[in-house]
Amino acid sequence: MILNQEQIMLRETVGQFFEDQSPVSRLRELQQRPVEESYDRALWSQMAGLGLTGITVPEAFEGLQFGWMGLGAVSQEAGRRLVASPLLSSVALAQNVLLNCASKRQIESYLPRLLSGEITASVALDEGRFFDPGSVLVTEQNGQISGSKARVLDASMSSLIFCVARREAGDLGVAVVATDDACVRITPARFMDLHGCAAITFEGVPADRTEWLEGVDVASGLEQAIDQATIILAAEMMGSARETLERTVSYLNEREQFDVKLASFQALQHRCARLYCELELAESAVAAALMALDDAASSVSAQASAAKTLANDVFSLVTSEAVQLHGGMGVTEEMDIGLFLKRSRVCNQLLGSSSYHRDRYARRFGF
Amino acid sequence: MTEDALSVFRTEVADWLDRHCPASQRQPIVREEQIWGGRRRVFPSDDARKWFEACRDKGYTAPDWPVAYGGAGLDAEQEKILKQEMARLGCRPPLYCQGLWMLGPALLVYGSEDQKREHLGAICRGEIRWAQGYSEPSAGSDLANLKTKAEDCGDHFLVNGTKIWTTKADEADWIFCLVRTRDAAPKQAGISFLLIDMASEGVSTSPIELISGDSEFCQTFFDNVRVPKRNLVGAINEGWAVAKELLNHERKMMAAFEGMLEKPAMALLELAHYAVGVSEDGRLADPELRSDIVSHLMRETAIAQMGERIYRQGKAGQMDARLPLLMKYLGTSQAQVKDELILAALGGEGLSMDDESVASEGVRKMVKQWAFNKSLTIAGGTSEVQLNIIAKRALGMASGERRS
Repeated sequence: MILNQEQIMLRETVGQFFEDQSPVSRLRELQQRPVEESYDRALWSQMAGLGLTGITVPEAFEGLQFGWMGLGAVSQEAGRRLVASPLLSSVALAQNVLLNCASKRQIESYLPRLLSGEITASVALDEGRFFDPGSVLVTEQNGQISGSKARVLDASMSSLIFCVARREAGDLGVAVVATDDACVRITPARFMDLHGCAAITFEGVPADRTEWLEGVDVASGLEQAIDQATIILAAEMMGSARETLERTVSYLNEREQFDVKLASFQALQHRCARLYCELELAESAVAAALMALDDAASSVSAQASAAKTLANDVFSLVTSEAVQLHGGMGVTEEMDIGLFLKRSRVCNQLLGSSSYHRDRYARRFGF
Repeated sequence: MTEDALSVFRTEVADWLDRHCPASQRQPIVREEQIWGGRRRVFPSDDARKWFEACRDKGYTAPDWPVAYGGAGLDAEQEKILKQEMARLGCRPPLYCQGLWMLGPALLVYGSEDQKREHLGAICRGEIRWAQGYSEPSAGSDLANLKTKAEDCGDHFLVNGTKIWTTKADEADWIFCLVRTRDAAPKQAGISFLLIDMASEGVSTSPIELISGDSEFCQTFFDNVRVPKRNLVGAINEGWAVAKELLNHERKMMAAFEGMLEKPAMALLELAHYAVGVSEDGRLADPELRSDIVSHLMRETAIAQMGERIYRQGKAGQMDARLPLLMKYLGTSQAQVKDELILAALGGEGLSMDDESVASEGVRKMVKQWAFNKSLTIAGGTSEVQLNIIAKRALGMASGERRS
């Protein structure tokens, strides 16, 4: 990534902050906490205090306007330490759904509290087994919202849910619903990567307790927000994949068998070299996608799909190989490698598998 | 240069290209019409000659070389603009030459002033065509094992031995060679870099027939060839450094080979549509091929994005020196993936390189290309050697098991 001076400072500050405050061991501590707690609130307050909620937000809305490359760099640093936080769920996804799909009045009513870290929001998008934003079954009927959503990130920690639902007229809408509403049933879960999400059932939330976002073009605003969050997730995944490869190479440089360092075996060198090629290839696609976001390029959707596919594939590959290259240690809970492995599989499903994005990319190019 | 100055430059370049590049030279290049220069150079048409001469006079055959040596003295940004404008107008590369891509850049670093003056201009002007004499029958990946001997005979060297994979040596005028000037340990310490006029007595070539039916490569023999001392580049026994400089340029060139090659008659997607057809939902009828093509397109794009990333890093002073090491491995492997997809899409039509009853000329060329491109991951340092280098230099993996 090519960063400007502000972004370099931001990355260094945030990298050091995560290193001190949120190493991988902090993620493990969540296991001892109730399932509702998908991240550490105190850590999140500090992150909000650093301004991480407002990196891409325009100055007109009191944001830092440091650009997508800046948020990408922060997400990579988070990915390196597997930081659990609402950076993806609330900052990358919910805030952009708000900015892209809401009226100015609505933005002004919700955004300040999101930016200050006082509240977070999460987008209820997935329904079935797979990410498929094209098929939404949760519907508005007689003014009420009913239906079930799956894998709503950090939902039990959020104050607001932005529920993607079919309006009575058949078009796609986004309803703002409070998580403490009596008609919203949240079942929190912790995935194997120790990050949290929830299944949500909307049991006929009445019209006077829902607010539909009133932007000009909600459907394309939503697609745009999903592309933005997808690229940010891909950046986070690249940070995790890079950390995994670096840890693996250090391990091979330390461990000795047959009286030599494992790293001196050509079979292992070639595997690592291939992984590194794949890593930088995917990184190049992700960096280009972040740049496309900053330039508001028309190719963003295709680039988001390419970036997510390459990030999915390289993160899976690097983590599987890392386990193998760590030998017996790789399958022990003592090492963190297993957490990176599990995180890669969860990230692969979030915001679209490679299979989904390859199909989407092909359709964009007319085949 | 300021953004304003660059934008003025862009306008001037576009205007110059538009005035000097005939319409026929804006058609995609075909192999038979590539201009390789040399003493025996021929031009396929008057337009081709005009375009070449215009570029030669402007220094655009070697745009980044100093004006004093026949280049145009462009900096990296200007050169990029020139390339972009040429690509936009579809201008053909004015000159193809190993001298341009490999020897020249190395001479600029290691050559004496006399050598630069003698050779660089002749390269830019397309007067001398160069071949490369590196590999030998027993020195491939283990290049330092080379045996071709240059004996010091006072005012000249006496060269004996053989070089293999000398690209188009049968059409070349001069050859740059790595030769052994002493038996030393390590082997690299006894190698010198020598320029040899192939018209000298005792030089002969013999083409090697390839699986693609081409014979791009030759074996070149040296039998008591007298080479003047002034043709030694760099110090005696220090040719390995020159060779490495040159290999970097060769690998860069091979990673970017795609743009220099003749374009296939149809782009991959178009070909797949034509050959495989489309199902009712608008998707390519073969779902596996469709998925493989998408993967390829994404990776091909990402390789170009990596090239762009390296360029921008250099410009921003944030160069990650590890990235250029990856380009040859990635670029050449991906070119082969593409050829495999072309063959998969062609089905039964892709089973002959020369039988007109099986396929059209355009299709047969694609099949030949598939076979020829198997050499991409071998020539210029095999993929395996590239991975060794990446593991050692980019990842800092311990050496020890292997003898270096």
